Amino acid sequence: MLDLLRATHHNLLRNKLRTFLTILAIFIGSFTIILNVAINTGVDSFITDQIESLGGEDFILIASEDTLDSLSSTLTSSSEPVPYNPDQTLSALTDDQLAELKSIDGLIADSFTVTRSLSVEYISRPDDEQKYLITAQALPAGDFHISLSAGRLPDQSTDAYEITLQSGYPEALGFTSDEAALDQTVTLAVKDPVTDQITNFKATVVGVQAPGVIAVNGAAVSPALADAIYAENTKYYPPAQADAAYLIQARFDTSRFTEAEIKQALEDHGYTGLTVSDIMGMVRSFFDVIMVVFSIFGGIALLAAAIGIVNTLYMSVEERTREIGLDKALGMSSGRVFAEFALEAVLLGFWGSVAGVLISMLIGHAANLAVHAEGGFLEVFPTFNLFEFTPAGILPIILLIMFISLIAGTAPALKAAHKDPIEALRYE
Amino acid sequence: MRPILAVQNLTKTYGHRPTEFTALNNLNLEIYPGESVAIVGKSGSGKSTLMHILALLDRPTSGTVELDGTPTSTLSARRLNHLRSQRFGFVFQQFFMNPQDTILENVILPLRIAKVRRRDRRPRAEQALRTVGLADHLNFKANDLSGGQKQRVCIARAIINHPEIIFADEPTGNLDSVTGAKIIDLLFKLNRQGVTLIIVTHDEDLAALCDRQIRLQDGKIINASPRPRRTSKTSKTSKNSKTAKTQETK
Ligand SMILES: Nc1ncnc2c1ncn2[C@@H]1O[C@H](COP(=O)(O)OP(=O)(O)OP(=O)(O)O)[C@@H](O)[C@H]1O
Ligand SMILES: [Mg+2]
Repeated sequence: MLDLLRATHHNLLRNKLRTFLTILAIFIGSFTIILNVAINTGVDSFITDQIESLGGEDFILIASEDTLDSLSSTLTSSSEPVPYNPDQTLSALTDDQLAELKSIDGLIADSFTVTRSLSVEYISRPDDEQKYLITAQALPAGDFHISLSAGRLPDQSTDAYEITLQSGYPEALGFTSDEAALDQTVTLAVKDPVTDQITNFKATVVGVQAPGVIAVNGAAVSPALADAIYAENTKYYPPAQADAAYLIQARFDTSRFTEAEIKQALEDHGYTGLTVSDIMGMVRSFFDVIMVVFSIFGGIALLAAAIGIVNTLYMSVEERTREIGLDKALGMSSGRVFAEFALEAVLLGFWGSVAGVLISMLIGHAANLAVHAEGGFLEVFPTFNLFEFTPAGILPIILLIMFISLIAGTAPALKAAHKDPIEALRYE
Repeated sequence: MRPILAVQNLTKTYGHRPTEFTALNNLNLEIYPGESVAIVGKSGSGKSTLMHILALLDRPTSGTVELDGTPTSTLSARRLNHLRSQRFGFVFQQFFMNPQDTILENVILPLRIAKVRRRDRRPRAEQALRTVGLADHLNFKANDLSGGQKQRVCIARAIINHPEIIFADEPTGNLDSVTGAKIIDLLFKLNRQGVTLIIVTHDEDLAALCDRQIRLQDGKIINASPRPRRTSKTSKTSKNSKTAKTQETK
């Protein structure tokens, strides 16, 4: 076997230019397909990561329809905080509405996280006219994975007013970087519900969240600050009304209901549900288009490469007619002749795809660096590796290409195997 | 003594009915171990065709070819390949070497085919090349050799497997008379060591050196010179029984 491999390699090296060109053709095909798979893997792992940070696949965000509309701008904002607009309204859900929601079959009532939504008018820096709309809340208890680009999350047990801003806010507020915002003071303006008078809460920035596709949770504030704002929000409320909520985070029973069914049920009651995959679907569909284009191109390139292999091997068989004749006259079996040529095809496929892997990894990593560099289109998503190379993604492709090469090599190899030694020895 | 090769009523035709061509017509002959036999005749008389059939490269249209008394038509392709690689050596008029390869690589080809272990190959190649006087040309490219040297490499390749029979089709056809004589010397030296020699040739002088001549004309044997009695060549039977034994163990 080793001997066969050596002999085959030796044969490939005989016509270096032709071998090189064939490998080049395979390389182009494999390169394209591997990059494609790498993007796919990259997007997938990014989406998985995001789904996790949002709470998982069974996570659903519920709000009344108009609330969701006015929130949609903040929901999909990835980098730019939205300037404050006094006309935008958020309507809080009442206790009755909450009870109604909990009674919907499929939603897990226990899972409702009615975080006390804080109504903050805007955020600004002291002595600065620039105001930005912001949602803020205390971190819900439980395991929410939030990645940070600077600092930390608010201390859950401190009396100090601490805030961990969403990505983009430090810059909007005029800080030179996320780090520069740390330990600085920002002002959260809260409107008196009756007199419309503004009360300013000064908070210390302790951290900045890493960018994500959406930021459901808003800025995270320390419980002490949350309590203070909440008290201001609800100072005229009767105690029973105090648990107002705009958005409900809940989980649904994925074993019994599909996303679509749950959303339909919510719609029937006049609410809107937004699942993680809804949000991710938008991202996916963008990359799906890229991948379809890549796949078609890669497929065509591979087809051309396969034809190249057939051609190369036929030429090789023709050229080596006398040699094959001699081999067979000296007692080489047809099977071995076939194996030599078939292996030649497989080796062409192997080297072509290995070259494809190496070069695409090189380019992929360079591209990852480029898109995350300043001004790159993924600058705001440092955790999003556009190209991700995993053995599980690459190996099947190498094997597939080797298999395609084998198929392509079959006809020439059969031709070689069937050569009559006498005819071949007479061949000039 | 039993013939190593025996042919009965051998006929070989090419093509089909209307344009059928009979290349060999009802031949009978026997070749004994240790003999040197020349197959002579005009161009197109069927010499190469006969040699190919004797060397089990080709099958007759009718008639039988027996090797050691066994009809070869009963043997599988695998067995025939194995027989050729173990017991036969070949020398051709056009050399048939892989010109880009080194002499060493060309000479070990039969060992590769016979799946001889790698580390045993080189010593055997060196020994075979020593026999033909090219031991110090191991790493020359085959292309860079003169015709006589090429044919000597081919002889080295033919003997590397210690064959019982060497088939040579016009071994001197492409060589001048001086180099040709050297090749002939080499072949007969091997013959004296016990190798059966079957030489196809135009050259009457070469044919005359052989124990026996088979003269072909239009696919027929026109002389059947009797096998001469030779007493000097009895030592070779030991070698033949040795190779026969390795055959059986396979
Ligand atoms: N594959 C074939 N198809 C048809 N005819 C063939 C084939 N092979 C050989 N012949 C014919 O058989 C005859 C004998 O050919 P062969 O090669 O045995 O001649 P030869 O005696 O070796 O001649 P030369 O001395 O020129 O080599 C020739 O007439 C040739 O044309
Ligand atoms: Mg001939």
